[in-house]
Amino acid sequence: MALISHESSVTSPLSAPQAPGFTKPHAVRPLVSAHDVSRQWGKGSNAQLGVDRVDLNIGSGELAAIVGPSGSGKSTLGALIAGIDRPTSGSLVVDGERIDQLSTDQLARWRGRNVGIVFQDFHLLPTLSAAENVELAITLSGRSVGRSKRRAETREALSSVGLADKVRRLPNELSGGEQQRVAIARAVVNRPRLIVADEPTGSLDQAAGSTVFELLAGLRRDGTTVVFITHDRALAAEADRRIEMLDGSVSRHSAGGVDVRIPLTADTLVAGVQ
Amino acid sequence: MQFVSHLWREVRRAPARILTSVFALSLAVGAIGVFAIPTVAASSLRDSAERDAIPQIVLRTTDTADVDLDTAVSSIANVEHIEPQVLTVVATPEDRELDILGTNLTNQQIDIIGVDAGRLPTAFGELIVAEDTLRLGTTWTVDAADGAPIELRVVGIGGTTFWNGEGVAFTDRATAGALEGVDGANRLVVRTSDTGKEALRSTASEIRDVLSDGGVSTKTLPLTIPNGRHPIEADIEQISSLIGLLGIVAGLVGLVLLGSTANTLITERTREVAVMRALGGTNRAMRRRLRRLAMGIALASVVVGVPLGVLISNLIARLVLEEFVGLTPGVAVSIPVMIGSALFALVGARLVAANAARRVTNRPLAAALRDRDGSPFGRRLSERLVARFATGSILDRTAVRNGVHRRARSVAMLAQITAAVAALMIIASLATTVTDYNAALDEPVRWATSTYVPGPGLDIDASLADGDPRAEVGSTIEGEVEGWEIGVYGFVPDTQMIDRTMDAGRWFEAPGEVAVSSGFAERVGLDIGDEVTVEIASGSHQYTVVGLHPDRDRTVFIDVDELADDMNLPGMGNVVMSLDDEPPAFLSGPIDVERLAEDDDDNGTAAILLIFTAIGAVVVSVAGLAVASGLAVSVYERRHEFAALQAIGGRRRHVFRVVVAELIPIAAGGIALGLVAGYLGAAAIMESFEAANAVEIGFTFASGAIPAAGAVVVAGALLIGGLMVRRVTSRPVAVVLRGAA
Ligand SMILES: Nc1ncnc2c1ncn2[C@@H]1O[C@H](COP(=O)(O)OP(=O)(O)OP(=O)(O)O)[C@@H](O)[C@H]1O
Ligand SMILES: [Mg+2]
Repeated sequence: MALISHESSVTSPLSAPQAPGFTKPHAVRPLVSAHDVSRQWGKGSNAQLGVDRVDLNIGSGELAAIVGPSGSGKSTLGALIAGIDRPTSGSLVVDGERIDQLSTDQLARWRGRNVGIVFQDFHLLPTLSAAENVELAITLSGRSVGRSKRRAETREALSSVGLADKVRRLPNELSGGEQQRVAIARAVVNRPRLIVADEPTGSLDQAAGSTVFELLAGLRRDGTTVVFITHDRALAAEADRRIEMLDGSVSRHSAGGVDVRIPLTADTLVAGVQ
Repeated sequence: MQFVSHLWREVRRAPARILTSVFALSLAVGAIGVFAIPTVAASSLRDSAERDAIPQIVLRTTDTADVDLDTAVSSIANVEHIEPQVLTVVATPEDRELDILGTNLTNQQIDIIGVDAGRLPTAFGELIVAEDTLRLGTTWTVDAADGAPIELRVVGIGGTTFWNGEGVAFTDRATAGALEGVDGANRLVVRTSDTGKEALRSTASEIRDVLSDGGVSTKTLPLTIPNGRHPIEADIEQISSLIGLLGIVAGLVGLVLLGSTANTLITERTREVAVMRALGGTNRAMRRRLRRLAMGIALASVVVGVPLGVLISNLIARLVLEEFVGLTPGVAVSIPVMIGSALFALVGARLVAANAARRVTNRPLAAALRDRDGSPFGRRLSERLVARFATGSILDRTAVRNGVHRRARSVAMLAQITAAVAALMIIASLATTVTDYNAALDEPVRWATSTYVPGPGLDIDASLADGDPRAEVGSTIEGEVEGWEIGVYGFVPDTQMIDRTMDAGRWFEAPGEVAVSSGFAERVGLDIGDEVTVEIASGSHQYTVVGLHPDRDRTVFIDVDELADDMNLPGMGNVVMSLDDEPPAFLSGPIDVERLAEDDDDNGTAAILLIFTAIGAVVVSVAGLAVASGLAVSVYERRHEFAALQAIGGRRRHVFRVVVAELIPIAAGGIALGLVAGYLGAAAIMESFEAANAVEIGFTFASGAIPAAGAVVVAGALLIGGLMVRRVTSRPVAVVLRGAA
């Protein structure tokens, strides 16, 4: 057991190598720190690798884009970071918590407090109104908030996405863009440190998509870290950090327009020798 | 072949769901098989009645020594064969009593003895005994009627269809005759050519007449067994009608299950079908496809369910026959019930499927393509209304709204829980009613022991108990009133052996007066002051009803001396009743003591309850499975929703909470409706029983079972809900959501 311990990576997480001239102050301390993270389905000959020994850091308060061709493992990586899936190996620290070691329920509680998740197809609860969907997130976060404060926060969150007049609508009565904005309100209402969005604009038209993206990108201002997955080059270009995936691995990683060196590991050494 | 592979693909796509559906439906189809039980039971009974040449008429008489039987009955055309027998009783080495039937063993023609071990008796004193009475080789000595010792020896084990289940021994007539002190016979069994009910009645009375011309009197009403039936068949029929009623409950549960299964299967394909429609599939073709799917499931259920039904009905029929007749039947099959249950599943599936398919294909293509699981929430007015209803926690709200959204399934589950609870309550209520009725039967009784001496008629001198203030001689004989078998009970007018408190009128005093059980009187339209015609062994007699007694059986109470006169046996009775726990000391010889405490009906009651329980278990498990599969599908279908809930921080208990909150109103409603339906159903069954038996049975609702029924429903729902939630939430949220789009 001790042989494959990843304790060292917890006590001294790999710091994001700083490129010259890259001086975003809040990017110094990483919020997400993945070390040797893999996600595999099935066993033996059926084994399928979604994410293959990924090492990366995402700084606090950054807007990070994960890009890459279809099937390259973007969603899988996003799910791992958001704590809705668990790595089969490797260590994953988010905001100081080893989330790969939490139990199912601990992980759920952790998500409720620390992450907001936005999906391509919204995943609002269909039987709840916009306001109820948002309020539910407060309830599940375990924050002890009084009823009236809950209502107020809900209204505020929905106003911030421009839906103050549609709080009582059911998801079925909202357009796709509106539903996605409710999902963003739901994600931000607990003021989480991290937001993970998997192709949040993928199901939306140009106009609705850019509204949604502006909302997400704007969260940076409050120091929220936003990780988003996209196929859209233009959107990715606006990110502080770009993580390019290929066949489950990070093929290119740049921050502030400068490449981040992939740390030297035994494997890359061997690969270099070959 | 293509159809089979198509079906197979469907099974692989959602194996758990399809297999539960098939299994539950099979069980429902199988449960309909209980309808076959009466047929199955009757056919085995009739087979054995035919094989063993059951008698059509049985008469018990005084000694026929002075009559040449064959000549006497030769004038009666319907008589094929008459067999003189002697019935007597001895004490076994363990001092239990043993009926011994003496009959012609060299040329058996009626109620033929089957030998299981050893052999038939060939010498004086040899016996062949029923199973579980005495061991082969047992030898002991008893006194003959004339006092001479006779050595009895068991040489075989065996029995007959008529005597099945009774502790009886068979020997030759000489041995039985010596034991009983009878030179001729005291029991006559007759086979006739016309076995119709009326023919048997008139033949029996002709035999009675020729015997009485020869100075022989019959002492019991002749037993007639018409149409090749088995003597036990009438009793079985009653149980059968009950079983039939429970079969209807099972069928209803099955129907609901069938409907909801077919409906779910088709509705959940809305989007898939929409895609095919978009690609150019015609509505007609799509409907055909959907109907085929439902028919495939139904067909698979029939293939499994019909044999299951045969199995269930045969198992229960075997249970009935073994308990009541001690007969192990062969496997029997009721073709009409098999075809019926198969048609039930196929036609039902076809109707429901056609309807659901039409609904699915009639949805606007755009809407159908958009939604994942049938129709989105908020399209119906009821859904929008319930969405305005914003009380309770948000999780509870999702639960209630989902219940409204999936109203078809909610109603189906409500119906299934109702059926399960109703079945439980009906069975429990029948059990309590039967128990209470048996207790009520003994309520007016004041004697502690009643002692009979062996013999076919009135064999006790009525003055025998004159010196004993705690004992009385009475008579109990069989009779008939308006076609109903009744008990005719002779008591002294001021008897202390029975509670003489009346419902109306008074106890008999003067000659020609009788009291009648009030429940029976009411059902045959007898009232105080009416004349009643009572058929007894000696013929028809008329009496005046002067009182209605709370007795719950079918009984006529009459002065013991008058009854003796009417039986042409003046001054005689056949039972000594005593207030003491031991029979009076003046009785000696072989006697048959019945103590009130030990109810001889207990076995019968236990058997009936056992059968109810068996059928109830089938019905309840069908309903339980239906509820379980409905609940499982419901939870499984919403796994994406639950995953979304988990993604935003919901823990397992939150998911469980939603499932339970949705279930609570359904379960509560189902329990409430089930209790009402159970009450009404059980009351109706009991009423039909009262009508069928012309007695007042009364009705006791098993309110004691309510907590149990509730607990079963609640515990079952929590268990299944918990298991399903566990299963659904144990997969990573991301993996579940991946399959959502
Ligand atoms: N639950 C799963 N079981 C098996 N394989 C999976 C599972 N989830 C993902 N994969 C596989 O892992 C790989 C990466 O999938 P992922 O969804 O992360 O790709 P993606 O980059 O998000 O693609 P897209 O851009 O199309 O969304 C794919 O080859 C996929 O087939
Ligand atoms: Mg993806």
